[in-house]
Amino acid sequence: MTRQKRSHHKLKRAVAPYLYLSPSLLIIGLLMLLPMVTVIGYSFQNSAVLRRDPSFAGLKHYQAIFDDPVFWASLWHTLYFTCMSVIFHMTIGMAFALMLNSDRINPTLRNILRVLYILPWLFTAVIIAVIWRLLLEPNGVVNSILMQISIIGSKVEWFSSPETALHAVTFANIWAGYPLFMVSLLAGLQGIPKDFYEAADIDGAKAYQKLIFITIPQLMPIIISISLLDFIWTMQVFPLVWITTGGGPIYSTEVLSTYTYKLAFSSYNLSQASASAVVILLISLGLTLFYIRYQKAR
Amino acid sequence: MAEVVLENICKTYGNNFHAIDQLNLSVKDGEFLILVGPSGCGKSTALRMIAGLEDVTSGSLRIGGVDVVDMPPKDRDIAMVFQSYALYPHMTVFENIGFSMRLAGKPKAERKKRVDEIAKTLQLTSLLDSKPANLSGGQRQRVAMGRAMVREPAAFLMDEPLSNLDAKLRVQMRAEITSLQKQLGVTTIYVTHDQTEAMTMGDRVAVLKGGVLQQVDTPKRLYESPVNAFVAGFIGSPSMNLFEATLTGDELMSGALAIRLQDAAFVRRPGLKSYAGRKVVFGIRPEDLYDSSLESGRKYQTIPAKVTSIEELGSEQIVHLDIDAVRVDSGDPDAVQDFGLASNAVAKFEPTSKVRSGSEIRLALDDTKLHYFDPETHLAI
Repeated sequence: MTRQKRSHHKLKRAVAPYLYLSPSLLIIGLLMLLPMVTVIGYSFQNSAVLRRDPSFAGLKHYQAIFDDPVFWASLWHTLYFTCMSVIFHMTIGMAFALMLNSDRINPTLRNILRVLYILPWLFTAVIIAVIWRLLLEPNGVVNSILMQISIIGSKVEWFSSPETALHAVTFANIWAGYPLFMVSLLAGLQGIPKDFYEAADIDGAKAYQKLIFITIPQLMPIIISISLLDFIWTMQVFPLVWITTGGGPIYSTEVLSTYTYKLAFSSYNLSQASASAVVILLISLGLTLFYIRYQKAR
Repeated sequence: MAEVVLENICKTYGNNFHAIDQLNLSVKDGEFLILVGPSGCGKSTALRMIAGLEDVTSGSLRIGGVDVVDMPPKDRDIAMVFQSYALYPHMTVFENIGFSMRLAGKPKAERKKRVDEIAKTLQLTSLLDSKPANLSGGQRQRVAMGRAMVREPAAFLMDEPLSNLDAKLRVQMRAEITSLQKQLGVTTIYVTHDQTEAMTMGDRVAVLKGGVLQQVDTPKRLYESPVNAFVAGFIGSPSMNLFEATLTGDELMSGALAIRLQDAAFVRRPGLKSYAGRKVVFGIRPEDLYDSSLESGRKYQTIPAKVTSIEELGSEQIVHLDIDAVRVDSGDPDAVQDFGLASNAVAKFEPTSKVRSGSEIRLALDDTKLHYFDPETHLAI
């Protein structure tokens, strides 16, 4: 090979990976980075989008948001909604995964349960919202059952009462989201060597000790990864809340996503909506950085 | 410390597969017994039944005089070393060794004292804070031993504990485990498929094939007096050469081969007389075959053979040969590897032997070292 040919070959090898990456980089740039930067720009403008030559507003819109009690209520609701969802997704997912992994359950029943438990995952947020709105209606199935077994005395308006609405929405979200944990943890459980449990059996471990000393530590990397991802995703949930309660009644289920949406498309205050969106972005970014650092540490 | 007794132990799986058939075995207090056999012979199943990790289909199993058939593993007072070691990757060496004491709710000070003692015996003291991932194969093996020792069990059960180590380390750990067993004096049942481990480590060796016990004896007696052609072929490396021949007068005739037997052979094996004029299987170990050019002083009879290939091992040469006789399969699946396509016999020659691959040689054989088996039953005559 001549020297020229060789350097040409070297150049090709160096450039090739970037050529392969370029379509995805282009799409991400156009569809994600560009809008993101634009929204950040809007948050510092007066009457963004609505005026052709908006003036610079500084931190005015951020100030306005932080002074708005509804924003703080939304932030609190978002945190409650997210934390409860992640905790219960994990516990329910773990319980079902342990059950499906147990060899004491009849294999046929296990396969049926596996399909049954994964069902919520197959529905889109809109369908889940509609299902739960029907189930939790004042004259719905849930009220009727709870009244029959005397847990409640009168019909509860789950989505329409400020006391119960946030819990009801959170409950629907828990129901919709546990299969991710279940499937991931089940895969993790199947990867734990059988020897570990046999050695523990010989050493005299009881079932709960095996769970604490072997299963959970072995699943820890999965638990942490999925929890962080779930946290990031759940924080941004919009359709479920929007369709079930629309953020009401009286802001009792207002979360950051519905709060921002209303600012933008009900009040047409796109500048403030942008500022609120940037706040959500910063919170998500913090969590994402934490997740990436955790992944790198592994 | 305790005696382990297996009486008529059977293990049948759902598909009617008999993994273990009528196993009778008695391991004396403090004895080191090796369970050996080719893959799938049921040796690991037998060990797991003793541990309580597999159910016993029928039969009785006693450890220290107590019937343990229906007892869970933890009540059997045994400790097991797994092939994979089964060390918990998220725990340090200290936590791994002390795990059973932690489960039993022993106070930390007591745990530390005992683990330190064991770490000292196994030279693990400097590694107590390390995780298994940072240990070498040999160190992991020792941690697994430590975890078994910490409980001072009545019996140790070891399931191919050295099979994940490289050859050199295996030799070293073999010696370490043997001396440790002698030092502790704990009844030990050790499963392996490696007949070298079986011969060098145990007080007695039990050979299993297809779930059936073939012979239990000291390594020396297994080597010298195998009860059947399988044990003869399985014990010893390379395997014993087995051929079919017809006993005609005092000569073994096989193909163009004739080996004259001395009168002493008939005195040592009186049963041989009844095979006169009939087929018989004879066996000779590779170490009892010699290069005739080096053995002229000993007056061994010689037979013609063709050298097909030679493995130089430095201290000896493994010579693959083609001799004009019908080879008999001992039934050991691993033995097939010892023979190439063109060869039907293996000999161990002195390193000074000058034979070359492809040459026709005279093979000297020590006919007093011949073994004889029935051609139908493969039982020793």
